[in-house]
Amino acid sequence: MIVVDGTLKTRLALWLLATVASLGLLLLVEAYLSATRAAERAYDSQLEAAALTIAEAVQWQDGQPLVEIPLAALQIIATRHQERVFYAVLDARGEPLSANLDLAIEKRWRDAAAERPSWHDADHRGQPWRLHGREFDSAGWETQDPVQIWVGHTLAGRRSLSGELFEHAVTRFLAMVLVAGLLMFLAMRVALAPMRRLRHQLRRRAADDMRPLDARVPRELQELAETLDNLFARQRNSRDALLRYTADASHQLKTPLAGLQSASELALKSEDPNAWRRALGEVHDGAARTSRLANQLLSLARLRHVADASRLAPVDLGALLRETLLEWADRDLAGAHDLGLAPLPARPVLVPGEPWALRELLGNLIDNALRYTPPGSEITLGLNDEEESVELYIEDDGPGVEPSRLARLHQPFERGGRQDTEGSGLGLAIVDSIARRHGAEWRVENRTPHGLRITLRFRRLPGASVA
Amino acid sequence: MSWRLLLGGWWLSLALPAWSEVLVIEAALDHDVAAPLLRAFEQAHPGIELDYRDSSTLEVDSRIVADDPPDVVISSAMPWQMARTNEGYASRLESAEARAWPEWAKWREEVFGFTFEPIVIAYRLDLARHMTPPATHADLHALLTEERERLRGRVTTYSPAESGIGYSLFQQDARYSTRFWDLVAAMGNAEAVLEGNTRDMLEGISEGRYWLGYNLLGSYAMVWAQEHPEVIVQVPQDYALVMMRMAFIHRDAPHPAAARQFLDFLLSREGQRVIAGETPLFSVRPDVIGPYTAQRLRDQVGDRLYPIPLNASLLAFVDPQRRAAFMQRWRREFERR
Repeated sequence: MIVVDGTLKTRLALWLLATVASLGLLLLVEAYLSATRAAERAYDSQLEAAALTIAEAVQWQDGQPLVEIPLAALQIIATRHQERVFYAVLDARGEPLSANLDLAIEKRWRDAAAERPSWHDADHRGQPWRLHGREFDSAGWETQDPVQIWVGHTLAGRRSLSGELFEHAVTRFLAMVLVAGLLMFLAMRVALAPMRRLRHQLRRRAADDMRPLDARVPRELQELAETLDNLFARQRNSRDALLRYTADASHQLKTPLAGLQSASELALKSEDPNAWRRALGEVHDGAARTSRLANQLLSLARLRHVADASRLAPVDLGALLRETLLEWADRDLAGAHDLGLAPLPARPVLVPGEPWALRELLGNLIDNALRYTPPGSEITLGLNDEEESVELYIEDDGPGVEPSRLARLHQPFERGGRQDTEGSGLGLAIVDSIARRHGAEWRVENRTPHGLRITLRFRRLPGASVA
Repeated sequence: MSWRLLLGGWWLSLALPAWSEVLVIEAALDHDVAAPLLRAFEQAHPGIELDYRDSSTLEVDSRIVADDPPDVVISSAMPWQMARTNEGYASRLESAEARAWPEWAKWREEVFGFTFEPIVIAYRLDLARHMTPPATHADLHALLTEERERLRGRVTTYSPAESGIGYSLFQQDARYSTRFWDLVAAMGNAEAVLEGNTRDMLEGISEGRYWLGYNLLGSYAMVWAQEHPEVIVQVPQDYALVMMRMAFIHRDAPHPAAARQFLDFLLSREGQRVIAGETPLFSVRPDVIGPYTAQRLRDQVGDRLYPIPLNASLLAFVDPQRRAAFMQRWRREFERR
């Protein structure tokens, strides 16, 4: 059964999405941090410039530092975002010489600024501010005290700049995702093109076209293509086999039917009741043969058709063998032969199997042996119980088979080169089919000085020895 | 129950417009000059009653930090207005008018320059009879030097110590040219009289006490000249400063909604049309037509108008040390003799 489980495209797209999303998240975090950093740096340097500009305006007069706040410094602090402006010039004791807001500069900040230029985040009247302070050595004629210059502003510009930078980063990222997605889509189309070609090729194929595929495929699809080819080959073989089998079967049925027809025609032309009787006898025999042939064909067809190993159940091969042999010993056909059973193993021999099929197998083996050996021949069946497997054999002291034909004996309508029997040539083909169903290996060999031995090796069921 | 409530709400909404609100405006802008504007506002907003308090720039500034703050603050002392805004006394005006207002005439959308008043020289006709009237700052300097004897005591200008506007104007003058100090020295030599406001200067000229006034508010002077033919107004031909009245809504305004309406009106096309047509304050908006618009002034005077920039640099003018240094130099130059 074919269950459609999504599409390759969706799967690829989902993976791409997951990759891009997780990478994107990292990128965005990085972009946000770097945007904030960049904005901080840009505006911090504005504050620095403003502080330097104010420092330039510090002059000493009458022992007091005097600052004429330069207009430019204030505009630099305000920036183009019109931030609120803070500036303060502190003397050596930290007292403001000049300040425009009552924003207190903490002592530790002043101490830090005395060491090196420093930046601080502050809160004034509920608004966040960024402050910058640095100390300048300034010297007058009377005193030589350092002054500290503090400048600060609100954060609208920083936020706007970092937001802008972040927005740009996001835009670039989205554009990249879009382009990547588009390219990925195209790449998927190109990559999946061989599959599409293969699909079209398969769809276009005629129902009875079993030729191997003729397609260019990437390495990933090679196996699939080869499997398909293999499947086609098997289908081709089995269809050929079926056709051959049907042709053979028809041919086999034709002969006895033709016999029946000619016998009955002859009888119809004759006025002699004896001839009729004789003909009726021939018709009866012919009908029996034909019926047997038809039965065999049927069972072979059935065996080949149903191939389901799940119905195998433990079967005691010894008991089955004994039963079948007893049944056959009573038949007319066996009257002229010496049909015997070698001593069976003491314990039951269990194999997985279908009783009816195994019985059919044994029947065919015995029937074959009876038909292809001259009267008076000795036919022996037996079991060799081994650890892992069990060997079933049947041997006779008949004429055997020409060695070149041994390999073909399992094919239907193969009579081992003999035309003098009533056999249909299906017996060993049935045996072969049943053996396959049971996973058994079988082997045909000539005996010395003469005779034939057929051996079947079944898999033993574990634990059977205990029973 | 809900029916009664609904009725009650309906009654309230009907009653609201009749229930007038008093909007307190603290302004350094003569009531006479502003009257048409206030009338137009009251007509447009019958629910709001105006309490207009007209005082000097320094008084206005002190009222901002008082315990009972006004709703709207208007002043021509630009540096002080800017300083108060920077200190956070102004509340942001979020409106379409505020957003559309030109960038150069607002700061943080908290404080708005809504007039465009040129700073002028005014002289008495008598002066023209005796000498060539000055058209530029250099002319003025030359005149004060050459005609020092005749002009002694007959020149007037703002007192930078008493007037916030006067101080701002001199600061701005000093920014443009160092020769400004020569002018101050020349005025000192001519024993110029320092006045606290433009009106006093104009009255002095009309009465004949003064022949020449420097750095007068053009808005007042032009109206005065129309009624007093003996007074001539001259927009300086080299450069003319332009002062803007700055208005903001007080952070702690008792009637913020009404205050927003008033400020929106000041910036609106309607308000600016009244300014352009019925007051001499000159409208800032380029889409307003009338005798008093920035555009018309530019057409008349050319590109020599130099508005005092409405930005953070104004804060320097109120820096105590800078102010002290400036005043010291002013005095030194003025009293050099």
